[in-house]
Amino acid sequence: MTPAKPHRILLDRVSVYADEAAAFMRRRRVSRRPFARLYYPHGRSADHAQDSRSGAELFVAAGRLIEVAGKKPKR
Amino acid sequence: MPDAAATAPPSGESAAAALEFLAEMSPDLRGAAILGPEGEVLAATEGDEGRWEDDAAALFAAADEAEGAPVEQVHIATEQGEVFAIRNAGLAAVSVTERFALASLMLFDLRSVLRQLATPDLGTPEGTKSRKGEK
Repeated sequence: MTPAKPHRILLDRVSVYADEAAAFMRRRRVSRRPFARLYYPHGRSADHAQDSRSGAELFVAAGRLIEVAGKKPKR
Repeated sequence: MPDAAATAPPSGESAAAALEFLAEMSPDLRGAAILGPEGEVLAATEGDEGRWEDDAAALFAAADEAEGAPVEQVHIATEQGEVFAIRNAGLAAVSVTERFALASLMLFDLRSVLRQLATPDLGTPEGTKSRKGEK
């Protein structure tokens, strides 16, 4: 049996990684829910749920900004 | 509204040029604004500047109030799009992108743009190059 050519092995390996990455992105798009994340100095961060009081205020403010930005301009 | 390290605000022209640069680098960008030390709009993409100012102020106020401490960065992802806001070098910037924009890159670009506006002798924001075509 002839061993596989090295470049073939490399291509197979790359395509496996590409498939994995594509699957990851698909899962991310499907499973990702709205969130509000705040970052503070020294690397601390905090998530605020949409149904919390602070989260609701953040989502309202974000919604207004999305409205003012409008649609993506055609370039 | 911006952080404490406020310096002389950059001109509207340089802020507008920085926004243009940001739009060039970020294919997912829908709109953005750069705010001066007092929260005033120095430059904004399409849209009413007064609304950018009011809505950015409301966002930072809500974010600061959430935990009773001033925030450095904000990232809110909704079904309609994503909002990023950042304070750096006495200035602030807000941007609205398509869903699933790359958050770390967007925040990095915003921070670079603000840093460059605050210290123009730094030149082009470091490590930035066009991401058009990247997905």
